[in-house]
Amino acid sequence: MKLLISYTDFIAFIKELEKEQNILYFPLSDNHLSNSLINENLENFSLINIRTIEPVKSLFFPLKENLFEKIELRQRIVVGIKWCDIQAIKVLDKIFLSDYVDENYKNYREQTLIITADCIYPQQTCFCSLVGGKPYVEQKDGISDLNISFVDENNLILESFTIAGEEFLTKYFQNFDEPTKTEEFQRNSNREVATKKIYSYNNEFLKEEDEKYYKTLKHTYELDKIWKTESEKCVQCGGCNFICPSCYCFLIREASKSHSEQYRDKVWDVCHFTGYSRAAGGANPRKYKYQRFRNRYQCKFVYRYENFGFYACTGCGRCIEVCPAKIDIRKVIRNLVLAKGEEALVRK
Amino acid sequence: MNIYIPKNFKIVKIIEETPTIKTFTLKPLDGEKFNFQTGQFIELTVYGVGEAPFTPSSSPYKTDTIDVTIMRVGRMTEVLHSMKEGDIVGIRGPYGKGYPVDEFVGKEVLIIGGGVGLAPLRSLLLTLIERINDFKKIILCYGARTPQDVVYKYLFPEWKKIKGLEILRSVDKCQLGEWDETVGVVTCLLDKVQVDVKNSVAIVCGPPIMMKFTTLKLVDMKFAPQQIYLSMERNMSCGLGKCGHCQIGSYFICKDGPVFTWEQLKNIPEPFE
Repeated sequence: MKLLISYTDFIAFIKELEKEQNILYFPLSDNHLSNSLINENLENFSLINIRTIEPVKSLFFPLKENLFEKIELRQRIVVGIKWCDIQAIKVLDKIFLSDYVDENYKNYREQTLIITADCIYPQQTCFCSLVGGKPYVEQKDGISDLNISFVDENNLILESFTIAGEEFLTKYFQNFDEPTKTEEFQRNSNREVATKKIYSYNNEFLKEEDEKYYKTLKHTYELDKIWKTESEKCVQCGGCNFICPSCYCFLIREASKSHSEQYRDKVWDVCHFTGYSRAAGGANPRKYKYQRFRNRYQCKFVYRYENFGFYACTGCGRCIEVCPAKIDIRKVIRNLVLAKGEEALVRK
Repeated sequence: MNIYIPKNFKIVKIIEETPTIKTFTLKPLDGEKFNFQTGQFIELTVYGVGEAPFTPSSSPYKTDTIDVTIMRVGRMTEVLHSMKEGDIVGIRGPYGKGYPVDEFVGKEVLIIGGGVGLAPLRSLLLTLIERINDFKKIILCYGARTPQDVVYKYLFPEWKKIKGLEILRSVDKCQLGEWDETVGVVTCLLDKVQVDVKNSVAIVCGPPIMMKFTTLKLVDMKFAPQQIYLSMERNMSCGLGKCGHCQIGSYFICKDGPVFTWEQLKNIPEPFE
């Protein structure tokens, strides 16, 4: 189902949603992810930015989760997340919902209606195009229940992708029309403009995703020297791990008082930390910084790709933005591919 | 039931194997059976201290209790070693893929263990002994650092009586007159075994350095990579293929292992680091 709706009506609708007993998550004009629980002023609601600063993973996989606490079952609605966020949820779903099901994660996912939005103003740090992505969400991308796209500054197209999304549209938007062909055409050309912008920001790396490029990364494993150079500036703060929307590593922290008074939680962990892979007695398969640094790249572009058929990097660019040493994941990969002698793969 | 929360087990017996190794017999508090496949591992919790992965050393045919043989090496095992019979610990599991025992039928089974690495292999050996006629023969090569470091000393006399099971043992070093078997690292036992390589499998467990050199030796002896089974270990935290700690190449040891064939690992850089 597809409807045309004005921006003003949409804002009115968001305010209406907040009045109901839903927990609403939404982006602000300063690019933070806020929610209705902390009473954020909806005046600052904004749809036009790139993905929020905070990763959406924290909605389903909180920073710290008491494993004995029953989670509150309440409808949640997240509005305005992007293609890169959707991709990250795909990675998390693979981890937390396959084989042994993580019940809390499953509950959080099932309780959350996902409303995505097109990216109209990508930034220099955006590189979804390099990992097979694009600045808008379509039905075939999965995960999203409903998508918001832009015709112009005053008009949006709401499009449902799932039954839940369709029910939602039917419930809240009875008196709206379908967009005309012209309006859809206008929306599509906005998408094209955004896509081209991302291409232009990433010209020095690649234009589009290229499997061969990342396959080469696998074979750079033994280039210890280059990995050492690339990781030299890394201060191992863990910022990139925490802010990465698809980094899922965690530690089970056992902190019971006794067997009858148990407590444990699941906390985010960081593969850049020395203790991450250290075993009892001190043995550590990734003793050195460059080994841990290399492992993160291999994990995202090689290992998870082998497992899932898609990358565990979403091209959101949060790690580039957060890094105090200004390490750019795109440049690191390019330098390694070049060091492997594959110039042809880089300069398009 | 939350997958990350353990069940309570009572310590019903403690055997001091060596000055640093103890075997704990654990019984589920709820009286339920504990079923596992030999080679699978468990996550053992010392409440308030930590949780760590171990592989049961008892036979999977015994389901009322399980044994775990544990070396005192870190913070959690230090506390565990100070615990007494009657104390309560937590267990999650069993997890991972164990030894594919059915694939060993009709073959010679060569088992090579080093130090406390004999623990999971004891479970395997007990499983094989239950159906010993299914295998052409079983050879156990076991190496410890010194005669004092040999685990399950009290079991060897019984095992030596079993037809179809050959046992070779070595110690790295010893005092004069203290040891009348082989002196040297465990790989030198492989020079002494009579094995029909083409129709056999080799199973290795021990410290990383021992696993590495034993694997190289087996490859030298013309064992095919898919005939060599390795029990890998890392600091598995969740045990469920989620937390990421035990990642080795594109595998999670906890989910895809802990038993791997060399065929699976040979192209992974530094698997024994």
